[in-house]
Amino acid sequence: MLEIVLTREDANTEFALLAEWLVVDRAQVTQGQPVCVVETTKATVEIESPGAGTIVQLFPENAEVELGKTIAYVAETADELASIDAEPAAKPAPKPAVGDRKATRKAAELADLHGIDLSAIDKRGFITEKDVEELISRQKASEPPEQGQALAGLSTEGVTLPASFDLDESVGALEAGFLASIRADPDSFRALSSDEKVNALRDAGAHIGVGVDLGEGTLVVSPRIVIEDGVRIGPRGTVVCEEVVAIGEISQFGADLELRCRRAFLGAGIWAGRSIRFGGGGHRDPWATLAVGDLAFVGDEAFVNVCRPVLIGREVFLTMRSIIVTHNIGHSVLEGFENRFAPVVLEDRSQVGLAAVLYAGCRIGAESIVASNSYVVGDIPAGSFAIGVPAKVTGKSSHVLSGARRIETARRMIDDLHELLALRGHAVSAIADGEPRSFEVEGTHVFFMPAFRGAGTAPAVVLTLEVHGEMADGVAVIDLVGRRVHGSGGIVLDSVREFCRKRGIKLEPGPWAYPGGLL
Amino acid sequence: MTPPPKRGVQALNEALHEIFGRRDDVYLFGEDILDPYGGAFKVTSGLSDAYPDRVITTPISEASLFGVAAGMALRGQRPILEIMFGDFISLGLDQVVNSISKFREMYDDQVTVPMVVRTPMGGRRGYGPTHSQSLEKLLLGIPNICVVAGSECHDLGALLIQAVEDERPVFFIENKLMYGRVLRRPEDGHIAELAVRESDGPYPALTFSGTDFAEASATIVTYGGMLPVVLDAVTELILEHEIFCEVVALSQLLPMELDTVLESVSRTGALVTAEEGTLTGGFGAEIAARVQAAVWSDLRAPVQRVAARDGIIPSARLLEDAMLPSVDDIVAAVSALEGVRS
Repeated sequence: MLEIVLTREDANTEFALLAEWLVVDRAQVTQGQPVCVVETTKATVEIESPGAGTIVQLFPENAEVELGKTIAYVAETADELASIDAEPAAKPAPKPAVGDRKATRKAAELADLHGIDLSAIDKRGFITEKDVEELISRQKASEPPEQGQALAGLSTEGVTLPASFDLDESVGALEAGFLASIRADPDSFRALSSDEKVNALRDAGAHIGVGVDLGEGTLVVSPRIVIEDGVRIGPRGTVVCEEVVAIGEISQFGADLELRCRRAFLGAGIWAGRSIRFGGGGHRDPWATLAVGDLAFVGDEAFVNVCRPVLIGREVFLTMRSIIVTHNIGHSVLEGFENRFAPVVLEDRSQVGLAAVLYAGCRIGAESIVASNSYVVGDIPAGSFAIGVPAKVTGKSSHVLSGARRIETARRMIDDLHELLALRGHAVSAIADGEPRSFEVEGTHVFFMPAFRGAGTAPAVVLTLEVHGEMADGVAVIDLVGRRVHGSGGIVLDSVREFCRKRGIKLEPGPWAYPGGLL
Repeated sequence: MTPPPKRGVQALNEALHEIFGRRDDVYLFGEDILDPYGGAFKVTSGLSDAYPDRVITTPISEASLFGVAAGMALRGQRPILEIMFGDFISLGLDQVVNSISKFREMYDDQVTVPMVVRTPMGGRRGYGPTHSQSLEKLLLGIPNICVVAGSECHDLGALLIQAVEDERPVFFIENKLMYGRVLRRPEDGHIAELAVRESDGPYPALTFSGTDFAEASATIVTYGGMLPVVLDAVTELILEHEIFCEVVALSQLLPMELDTVLESVSRTGALVTAEEGTLTGGFGAEIAARVQAAVWSDLRAPVQRVAARDGIIPSARLLEDAMLPSVDDIVAAVSALEGVRS
């Protein structure tokens, strides 16, 4: 497809007049044929067609056309003509005039932090930080702050909060005397065995599920404690909250955890490494609320400062040594230094790379990726890939696979799994290359079929993209798209689950720990 | 109802039609100005059809055009000269320096030379070394003439009519980019988000403020085609840094009258000059000298000058852009002021 562009040569203004079309729209033209007359300020010129084909005119006669614009296409084939017709008509985009953006960057950021709609400020001229500050103080003056407003108006859009966030306030409240005794002598509590700690907390009113393991030397103290089944906190942990700590089932935390804030709401199936620190400066502040969604991953040595709300969504991946801060360390505000206290939000399924830093006030959109060592100072829109210091969006975090491509990718998982198990020394059969694609290990068949339509020969683990029918006993079906496991199985199913997890496919229901081991 | 947007070329063209209709002693001389072509920049479009006896196309001989116009003016006519590119006023400057500017005093006020030289200046179009310059500063050292350069926020038509009515010789500088740009006049005391005041007098100055003339960080004085660049820089400084500057856009460059600038500096305490011509011996240099002498105690920082680098203008657009003063240059000059405050 060829373009006829109104070039700038021999013209003294920004615009030229398209005086006359010498051919009708959709006419067949030949290379070098004059197609139109353009009147510029210094000359009237004929413009020739750059090639042969069907001309598609984009402007009418007597139109004033900005120099540099395409005024017509020459379609060389019927396909090209069809593709031109599919495109919306070209419109000259006016340059935004001075003042199209009324609010300053500082004003917009402050309004964003406080969830303020700038249209509430009725003012001639620019909206400045001072205007937003004045609105905030007016609002504060008219609505005195209420205690217990955990999120202080922060939007939870894009964040699936853990179930414990809405927990009834009566659940897990400790007797005042017991609470005072642990606070007075935490070391004696640390010295108890896991069972002794669990029983003592339960007796004092805490809600503690079955199979909870509190590691050697680990302390848990808070006016309200809600710990669901199967939660494991490693050795030398310190969990000290001013109001409540709630942890969903089978979440596990490595050694040397430090969790200090006012309110901690942690979801189910969280996997957290060692030497992780939640808290830091201002962790007792009234706004120090931490929420971590189900199935989140927190890598070793991550540091999350909580003096303002920190919301970490479902399946968020916070890699090793990543750092989240909710305030800066500043000099005097009266000398013009910034003094910032602001929440940080990571929406569902976002990822933060190794040693990346998220500065106070930033919001990472759902399914976005922040690259390792990046420094994020603002919002990252959903679905984007951001990298750099400071982080800039350079593309999308994922791309859509066609149905066929998705099937090919899933089929190759069978090959990869087969290779892995064979290299680990397990007796695996050759891959049966057909529909379904399968092999056998430890007496269990592992299949991939694009759609599962019921039954199946036990024992088997089926990987599929669609689940329709009922499955037989002993057949476990993994819905790779819905990210769910149907049925149950033993060590082979657990091994396949773990294999899927390493490809970013976290399956529900849990567990996400394998006490029975893996192949 | 707001009038439809008007481009610079249209405002000037309408003003010429108006003044030709109003006075029959007005003549227009220049190269290629006849219809249907209507001038290189179309400013004279339709004029020769309407007034064939008073619109005269000429050979390419600027020096003689200046002489003819001077003679007509001495004999009581009101000639308007169009010099197609401002770069070529130099061909007529002998007439201006040694005759046109001096006749009135040399002949003891018995004659005036009421002629207007209209000419476009300015680059950013890739026209190269001899068709892109801003040579206003060459005129600033000539006593007894008037130099007028409107901006896209001035009433360009009114300025041109005023120039024709003026008894003094007037150089009327038009910026090439302004021909194609939509003019923006103050409405309700504002242009976009900026409050605007217009001074009195035949060739008013405009003062822009983002704080409604309360305290600000600096005054930027400019004229003509630099105004949109300065306004873009001021807007960037406000939106990105909350640094507020006042802008004074002069339309009368000579005789230099700086009351509006001094008044603004009294509110801001700092001055930046911005012009498209080269730095040395320029508009900014003259203003800096006058302002420091007048209000030294109001200034908290040395005057900063933004101008083109001293050199010839390249044709290549990237090189031309690097040479001419930009939004970034203005932002940097303001940021470099001592104690710039937000």
